[in-house]
Order: sequence, then structure tokens, then C-alpha cells
Amino acid sequence: MLDRANMPAMDDDTLISVRNLKKYFPIHAGWLRRQIGEVRAIDDVSLDIRKGETFGLVGESGSGKSTVARLMLRAYTLTDGSILFRRGSGEVVDISRLSERQMREMRREMQMIFQDPYSSLNPRMNLLELVGEPLVIHGVGSRGEIRDRVAELLRVVGLRPEFILRYPHAFSGGQRQRIGIARALALNPSFIAADEAVSALDVSVAAQNINLLQDLQEQFGLTYLFITHDLGMVEHIANRIGVMYLGRLMEIADTKALFSKPLHPYTEALMGSVPQPDPRGNRTRKRIKITGEIANPANPPTGCTFHPRCPYAQERCRTEVPALRPVAGRQVRCHFAEDLNLSGVAA
Amino acid sequence: MDTKAPMPAERLLDLEDVHVHFPMREGLVKAVNGVTYHVDKGEVLGIVGESGSGKSITARAIMRLLPRNAQAAGGRIRLRPRTGEEFELSALERNSRAVRQVRGNHIGMIFQEPMTALSPVHTIGDQICRTIQLHMGLDKRAARARAADLLARVRMPRPQQMLDNYPHQLSGGMRQRAMIALAISCNPSLLIADEPTTALDVTTEAQILDLLRELQAESGMAIVFITHNFGVVADIADRVAVMYLGRIVETASVDDIFYAPKHPYTRALLNSIPRLGVDQGRRLPTIPGMVPDPFSVPAGCAFNPRCTHAVAGVCDVETPPQRQFANGQSARCHFADTFAEAAHA
Repeated sequence: MLDRANMPAMDDDTLISVRNLKKYFPIHAGWLRRQIGEVRAIDDVSLDIRKGETFGLVGESGSGKSTVARLMLRAYTLTDGSILFRRGSGEVVDISRLSERQMREMRREMQMIFQDPYSSLNPRMNLLELVGEPLVIHGVGSRGEIRDRVAELLRVVGLRPEFILRYPHAFSGGQRQRIGIARALALNPSFIAADEAVSALDVSVAAQNINLLQDLQEQFGLTYLFITHDLGMVEHIANRIGVMYLGRLMEIADTKALFSKPLHPYTEALMGSVPQPDPRGNRTRKRIKITGEIANPANPPTGCTFHPRCPYAQERCRTEVPALRPVAGRQVRCHFAEDLNLSGVAA
Repeated sequence: MDTKAPMPAERLLDLEDVHVHFPMREGLVKAVNGVTYHVDKGEVLGIVGESGSGKSITARAIMRLLPRNAQAAGGRIRLRPRTGEEFELSALERNSRAVRQVRGNHIGMIFQEPMTALSPVHTIGDQICRTIQLHMGLDKRAARARAADLLARVRMPRPQQMLDNYPHQLSGGMRQRAMIALAISCNPSLLIADEPTTALDVTTEAQILDLLRELQAESGMAIVFITHNFGVVADIADRVAVMYLGRIVETASVDDIFYAPKHPYTRALLNSIPRLGVDQGRRLPTIPGMVPDPFSVPAGCAFNPRCTHAVAGVCDVETPPQRQFANGQSARCHFADTFAEAAHA
């Protein structure tokens, strides 16, 4: 029976609710490997992912987007915070408090797709072993049933079931990515974190795989966390987007609202930096670009961590840390979100 | 066409029917299968294509830096850095004195991953100074001063101190700047940039593209910019060549490539890119199938099995000729003149 009284609170349409997530990595140095400091890889990240939506997470490398995904699947242990997940049974569990063994059970419902289709598949395993491995680990079905299920999964992701005994080297990058998708689907998860899932692929192949991910979402009612640095791609696939910088969420908004009018200067700068396949537009569009590079997370700037690169920074930004707060129906971490008139990329 | 024709006055680099083959156990791979293009003085030529299209191997053929198992199987590559000074690069040996003169002095090259292109055991300063001393005959002190100047030109903060840093001490963007400084150290008339921003974040990419544009405006050098990213090429190129399976399928000014593409492959690729601020509907248009493996390139037009306009009996039989249009655009498609309308206005 579900013990509703003791279940952590979460909206009914929410699948995952991340609250005040923190991950600090220790820095060791010297002969005794003493800890001399810490890297705040993830600092106070809170976000909700609704059932059936695609939540996009964008930001530069080092902003912590992959770390958030790994924390959500408990591939890393978190320093602090909670991650509420609604199971298929309706039960809401706080993943952050589960034991390793309980977590293994949870991973039936939460899966991940990786960027590099070359290093993420064991070259010594054929498709039957690769895609069937999750089924074997979770003891689902006999050998014959597993074989049938793998063949079905291959069909679902658009690979020929006759290839079931082939090895990954026989496949192209785009096809390997599909093998990874089939593997993630094996246990019928409700949530999939896709970490730069199409970033390594050529344009035409990336488009095919994006369409596949969207078809699968519709077919199986999947919820995606879609991590990418490709703003064009995330605008296409995501319903809502979180923008990360130096381990913090700077802005969370509906995709349309975010792109037509960003409220955080970092979001504006990211959009301004992306060159568009539109030479005339590039020549005429007002593009705010930013100078400098992402700061060292072991030694982050005071106040707003973005202030050294922000064209609108004022004295207050240097001293006072802005909170992630609701502004015009979305969340923004900027002191001047209401006052700035930032430009997006409206159609 | 007379292959011995002299180059026009504005011409810097000219490739004529260049072939590069790789003999493999499984058969002969024609990685570059008759590439013809040219670069005029001071212009930026963008070369786009998916992986395996031969864009990088063509660039390496220009530099005579082909892998050892490659066969330069024909064609002519000519470079004229100054009036009256002309090199026939295709006739030069990989390690000849002449080609080493061309490489640093007249052509500089930058790569995707500066960490593997720069030496990890020498400081940035040493690497730039050695090149300068070798090619310009400067003494140690003058070379170091010039190296610091170069680092300042590529907008490196604290150039004097940077000279004594090793590549691993720099961020990806800074390393790319160091490599650009090295490539332009002897004032080349041509810079070959092979996916120089692919490994960088968009913010850093925008900075590097701005830098290349500024350097180009200052020095008047020409750039061959190789990329798979249509956004980048739209941003930096004056003219664009699109490659598919070892051939150039279309060449045009940057505006014509994007607003009036004449080859179905160019059109299909452009349609499959998600664009910022443009709602393309739920499904992205895709190109059916995938790039065929290099051992079994389709007969006729290599793109015909994936082309939605292919006509049986024509496209799968005859290799399309290069069709030349009045605006300078050219496309290797039997039906190029029927695609006069813009794919997207």
C-alpha cells in the first residue's frame, strides 16, 4: 500500500523534483593529500521536470550540466539536497536517501544515453549482450524472452533485428547511438537523461536521431532531460529549458519565452554567440557576445558568479549573490532581471 | 579545359581535379575524387561537408601532409603567394626543402584540437620562437619579442608571461589562440583552418571567429575554413564549397549557398539543421539513409540513392558534370538548373 501521508510532497504532474542540489568535490594537495579546498560543481540547483516533457539543460562546458544528470541517477553521491522521483506505481521516493541496493531497483525507471557512441559501448559485446544486459542484470525473462525483447528493441530504434549478433564496430556513429538508446529503453524506463546525445553526430544523422527520440517519447510516454550545448537543437526538442553557469541555474523558462526574450544576461550572451545558418541575419542581427572565459569553479567570483563577464554588471553584482527567484512566470538569478531589456532570437 | 592555363591575377590557390586514394584491404578508397576549387587573395573560402567527405584530406594534400598510406593520385595544386612567385605544390615531395618553405612561410594551418597539434613538452614561446627563427632568420631575442607581439595580436592576456606557459596550462580557447599565433607567425598569405572551433564552447567559438576576421582584415590573408557547421560557415565565409563523398557538389557565394542552393544535397542539409527562433515543426526534415561506406560509392551521382529528386536511368548511371551559372555558382547535379528557387527565403 502507498503510504500517502508520509510521502514527500510534489505536484501531481511532476516526475522529478530536484531541491537545493549540491555537489562539492574535494581538492587534495601535498604529500599527505590533505584537503585544501573544494570545487562547488553544483551549487543549489532546484528544478522540476514534468511528466512527458523534455527539459533542456544548456550551458558552457564546466557549467555542471552533466553533473546534474549524473546526480539525478545517483552515479555520483550528492553532497546535499533532495531528488524526489515519482515511480510508476505512483509512490514518490527521495532518491538521495536510498541505499545502493534500493537505487539499483530505481534504475529500471531512470536511464541515461551518453554522448560518445564509441566509448560507451563495450566492443567485445554483441547487440544481444549489449541491449540485453540490463534485462539480465535485473533478471527479467528467460534467454529466449530476452532475445525476443532485444530484437523488438532493435526494431523500435530502427535497426535490423538480423544484426543481433553483430558487434558495435560494424555500425556507424548514428547507429551506435541507436544501440545506446535501445539499451536505455530495455527496462521500460519513464525517465531518460540524454547527455549530449546527438552532439557527436553529423548534421543529417543528428536530425534522424532527434526525430527518433521524439517518436519514442510519444510512443512510450517518456520524460527527457536533454543536455546539450547546441541551442538550436534544444530549442527544437525542449519544452522548458534551464540555463546553467558555474554550477548554478541562471534561468528556467518555457522554451518559447526564453528564446524570444531572455531575462538573464548570460542567456542573452549564449544566444548571441551562436552563429546562425543565415549569413544576412548574422550581418544584421544585434549580437551580444561575451568576453573572457568561464571562471575557475574552485575559486568562483564573489557576488553573482557571472558578473566579471556581464556587460550590465553593477556594484551590487560584485558583492551580493542573487537568488533564483520568480520573475514574469519564470525563474531568474539576476538582480536586474526586471530592469534589463535583453534581446532574444524571435522568429 | 586547358590544364596549363595560367592563373588569373587575383588567384592565390588553385586546385584542379585533385585525387587522393587510400589502398585498403577491402578495396581502394577514393577519399578525394576530383576536387577542383580556388581561393582568391584575401577571401575566406568555407568548405562544408559531413565526416568522410574528404574536406580535411584535401587540405592536407595542399600542405603535402597526407598520411603515409595515402596516394596522391593526380591533379594539380598551385599556389601563388606573390606576383611572379608560383609553386606547384602537387609536384613537391612531402619532406622537400621547397615544401617546408611553403608551409610556415606562405601557408599556416590550425587544427581542431590544439592540444595534439602543439607540443606538450615545449612552452608556447619556444614553439613560436623556433618557427620564427627558422623561417625569418631572426635571433633569439628578436624572435621572442615578435612572439610576444603575436600573442598580443591574437588577444592573449599577459602575452609576456604566456610565452613561458605550456599548452596544458591554458584553456581550450587560449590554446587555439596560441596555435593561431603560431600559424600566422610568418605572415602567410593563406591560412588553412581545419575545424578550429569545433571543440570549443559557443561563447569561445564566437571570440575565435571574431579574432580570425580581425586578423584577416589586418593582414589581408586568405582563409580556407573547413567545418561541418553551417552556422559557422555562414558567419565567416565569403564563398562556400559543399563536399560529399570526395567531390565538391556545389560552390557559390555564401548568400547563394544559403538562399539559393542548387544542389539537392545542400538543400537537404540546410533543411535538417534546427535554427534558433524558427519553428520547424515537430519533426526535422532528414536526408534518408546514410553516407555510403567509401568502398561502395554509388555509380552515377554519388548522392542519388538519398536524393528525393533522383531520376532513374540518369542519376544512377551518369556522373553529373559541373554546371556553371552566370552568378559564379556551380553545382554537380543533372538537374541543377531546375532548382532555381530559394529553399528558404
